[in-house]
Amino acid sequence: MGKKRAFRTMKSGLAIAVLILALGGCVGRGPEAPPAAADAPVIRLEYWTPFSGGDNRFMTEMISRFNKEHDNIRIVQTNSRLDDYYSRLRTAILAGNAPDVAVIHTTSLPQFVQNGYIENLEKPATDIGLDWTAFNPNILKSTVFDGQPYAVPLDTHALVMYYNKTLLRQAGLLGPDDKPVIGAGAKGYIEFLEKIRSAIPADTAPMAQPSTRIDSVWLWWSLYNQMKGGGSFYNEDASRTVIDNAKALEALKYVNGLYRSKLIPPDINDAFKLFYDGKAAVLITGMWGTGAFENAEGLDFGVVPVPVFYDRPAVWGDSHTLTIPANRSMSSEQRKAVMTFAKWMVDNSELWAKAGHVPSMTKAVLSDEFRKLKFRSDYAATANYVAYWPRHVKQWSIVEILIKEFERMNYGQQTPEQTLRKAARLIDAELTS
Amino acid sequence: MSIRNVTQWFKNQELARKLIWINCLLVVVPLVAMGVFTFTSFQGTMEKNVGGYQLQTLKQVTLNIDTYMNELNRLTLMPYQYNEILAYLRSERKPGQPLTLKEIDELNSFVSQVFINGRVDIMGVSLYGERGASYVVLPESQYVTTYKLDESAEWLKQAKGLFGQPIFITTHEVKSTSGMSYEVFSIARELKSFDTGQTLGYIVIDIDPASVRGILTQVNMGNRESLSILDRSGNLVLRKEGYEYPDQPWPLQGEGITQMRENGGDLLIAYFTSKVTGWTTVSTVPVDELMKASDRVRNSIALIGAICIGLAMLTSVFIAFRITKPLRKLSRLMRKVEQGDLQVSFPVANRDEIGRLGYAFNTMVSKLSELGYLLYETEIREKDAQIAALQSKINPHFLYNTLGSISMYAELEGNREIVTMANNLSRLLRYSLSSRKELVTLRDEMEHVKGYMTIQKMRYGERLHFDVDIGAGTMDFAVIPLMIQPIVENAIIHGLDKGIGDGRIRLICREEEAVLSIIVEDDGIGMTETQLDEIRFRLLHDNDLGGKTGNGLLNVHRRIILHFGEPYGLRLESMPFRGLQAILTLPAFRPPQEKLA
Repeated sequence: MGKKRAFRTMKSGLAIAVLILALGGCVGRGPEAPPAAADAPVIRLEYWTPFSGGDNRFMTEMISRFNKEHDNIRIVQTNSRLDDYYSRLRTAILAGNAPDVAVIHTTSLPQFVQNGYIENLEKPATDIGLDWTAFNPNILKSTVFDGQPYAVPLDTHALVMYYNKTLLRQAGLLGPDDKPVIGAGAKGYIEFLEKIRSAIPADTAPMAQPSTRIDSVWLWWSLYNQMKGGGSFYNEDASRTVIDNAKALEALKYVNGLYRSKLIPPDINDAFKLFYDGKAAVLITGMWGTGAFENAEGLDFGVVPVPVFYDRPAVWGDSHTLTIPANRSMSSEQRKAVMTFAKWMVDNSELWAKAGHVPSMTKAVLSDEFRKLKFRSDYAATANYVAYWPRHVKQWSIVEILIKEFERMNYGQQTPEQTLRKAARLIDAELTS
Repeated sequence: MSIRNVTQWFKNQELARKLIWINCLLVVVPLVAMGVFTFTSFQGTMEKNVGGYQLQTLKQVTLNIDTYMNELNRLTLMPYQYNEILAYLRSERKPGQPLTLKEIDELNSFVSQVFINGRVDIMGVSLYGERGASYVVLPESQYVTTYKLDESAEWLKQAKGLFGQPIFITTHEVKSTSGMSYEVFSIARELKSFDTGQTLGYIVIDIDPASVRGILTQVNMGNRESLSILDRSGNLVLRKEGYEYPDQPWPLQGEGITQMRENGGDLLIAYFTSKVTGWTTVSTVPVDELMKASDRVRNSIALIGAICIGLAMLTSVFIAFRITKPLRKLSRLMRKVEQGDLQVSFPVANRDEIGRLGYAFNTMVSKLSELGYLLYETEIREKDAQIAALQSKINPHFLYNTLGSISMYAELEGNREIVTMANNLSRLLRYSLSSRKELVTLRDEMEHVKGYMTIQKMRYGERLHFDVDIGAGTMDFAVIPLMIQPIVENAIIHGLDKGIGDGRIRLICREEEAVLSIIVEDDGIGMTETQLDEIRFRLLHDNDLGGKTGNGLLNVHRRIILHFGEPYGLRLESMPFRGLQAILTLPAFRPPQEKLA
């Protein structure tokens, strides 16, 4: 019996020990986190954009559609004001926390291509099967540096002329084809605006253009490029600017004249909103406004290419491109996801075209879907005579100098001559710095 | 069933069952009690811990959000470092009055500073002066200077009361000029002049709630949790995507844990109010969701317990049967013995109690069987003796009469020898035939021997010498009838028949230490050691009564042993050519009267 008791004691002791161990383990661990359910982790991509002209809502729509179609990729967009965008992007890249994918304008590409701030896309594009030949060669060229692709061009956007049909009809300037009736050349355009001014209420602008920011620079660049022998910016080795010349001055004087004659009323801040609200008859701005204006209630408007003021058609233009900012922590899965996103974006660029842009893919421009879109096909040809800014590492800073000086001129603080001279001096200083 | 009944019922159970029942009691009851106790206390602690953990997590999240909010709060202090901004806010402005280029530059660079120094999720910055100045930057829009402060705005009233403290404005919508709506929450601050102490204006920074939602998203308190932030009046600031539960009882202020019943079950609500924003972070999780882990523990405990108990019971059943198996075998053997089968033996494997019991059982059975045999032998012998006596009684009277006639004729003829012989023979016969008594006195037996010797003397004449030496007082001791005569006969055969010349036979009776020794000696050729050993062996081990020489001796020996037991009996001593000595030993006692009947 004694033996048996010992046995039993041992048994129950063992059982209790097991129990206590089991309990102890559980108490120690506390509530457990439920195991991750997803088999493939969702790749989250930070996507930075500088949209501020009404095209952002189309970008947002595309992103949500992309996210819906891709279970394992989630694009998280952060949209900033263009004013701060590049400053922010530069800081982020230098700080090592750059977004995974960022929109960069063609104009700004050179400064990001230098020092490898954005990735060479040759291999990633090949891996994902992106066909470079499908792009409009004119647009594609702007993304290739030393034969290597650095960005996936999304679109071309250039200046177009929006007009308020209601107001133009009032002024009797709307043709039977609903197109504005504008006299030839620079003079014809002034007359056109004068006629409008005489026909519309005083609180309505014949032409809307902000006194500040880049808009007047775009117009000047377009006019300057329309002149025979115009459009040059740098000397041959890009060590000095050559903008302080007669043609440039002529174009600038013309722009200044619009402000001085108050055909462009002073102190306009938000020309876009003015036109949107029906408070402007004509607006020369980027194509990105089309989609937004289409959504504006009670706005009857039309779009035509910017008229030829001088010798040949030319307008300022730029491209939005998708780039991968250098980020040490980027994994190959993320890179692949970015390229998947980029490819999807260009493959579905008819959606982007709804915002007003001209798609970068030749196929998309020729597609029925694009042709069916109102207005876009009217100005799609504009893409062929876009006057890009010259490719220069410091181009964006140099444009900013122009903006500053032009603003002063628009506010009547200096003459066009002074403006060009001062700008040229500052640009030269910037070039040599 | 009363306790006594139960006790009795238990007492009546088989030993193995008793052991199993006891084991069951000793193993199952403590284990189950222990398991139940441990789990209950564990569950209690768990519930408390889970609540605490929930609250702790919530505090942590709120602290994280507070850190973020403090960062934003610092941005609202920026106007104090820009005199031109303060000057702008101070300035008197007519509605629609345009900004100068300088002002645009200053304001734009200030807002850019806010945007760039702040985080990417700042959606808008608004500056409002007390005297009509305003500069509002909304997402995707150019600045607007025409916005007026809505004097009735709730936040404005609050801001006015709070010197130096920022106001956090719950999530609301702002519309960009291009028509898109954005969801933002805002932080607002009253800006004052240091010199006059008067309010200059306000700065409002709009923030995308996504980043705060992101902080919330990092928290995972369970699959069906709901995590939200509510402002002071219980309006939703933002909510983590996922589950939604009906509104919590309001107000929840400060910190704490409460429970709410919902149709699905109990909900555990933890809440913590931030001192920075005054917003309350509330988490709602179904209790059963939280207790999932503890349910797992309970199930594991139950499972492990069941396995342990099962194993323990199995082992205990096995051991109980194993231990009681020899007992059951013993009891089976006993039943056999009861039925008279004495050819059984219990295999003793070890020296524990069972072993000893088995050994005792074996001894008992063998004793029993020996006793049975002895009884049986005694009965056989007595039957044999009786049969023999009956046979020899066939016509004893004829023999007596014949011997009487012989004696009479010899008397007439004057032949004294024949008379003596016939008379002695007649007496011998009578003694032999009539001796159905168990015991007789030594005197009777000696009478018989003397009669016998008288006859033998007449046969052998002068060659036979017979001496009798009877110890004093031994004549009344009890002996077995016809016990000495065969020994004497044997002595005559050995001493005289095989020898030449005279034979001397001595009969000595002694009583020593309650042992009666009757010694019969002869002076014949005696026996060799081998012969002697053979006879001694037969005396010890041979129960056979088959006819062989020495059967007379054997018979006497067995009878003594049957009557009186082992130490008594017949012993033989011999020396070659010096005769044989037969020693009978018996217990010395006087026969009780009834045995002499």
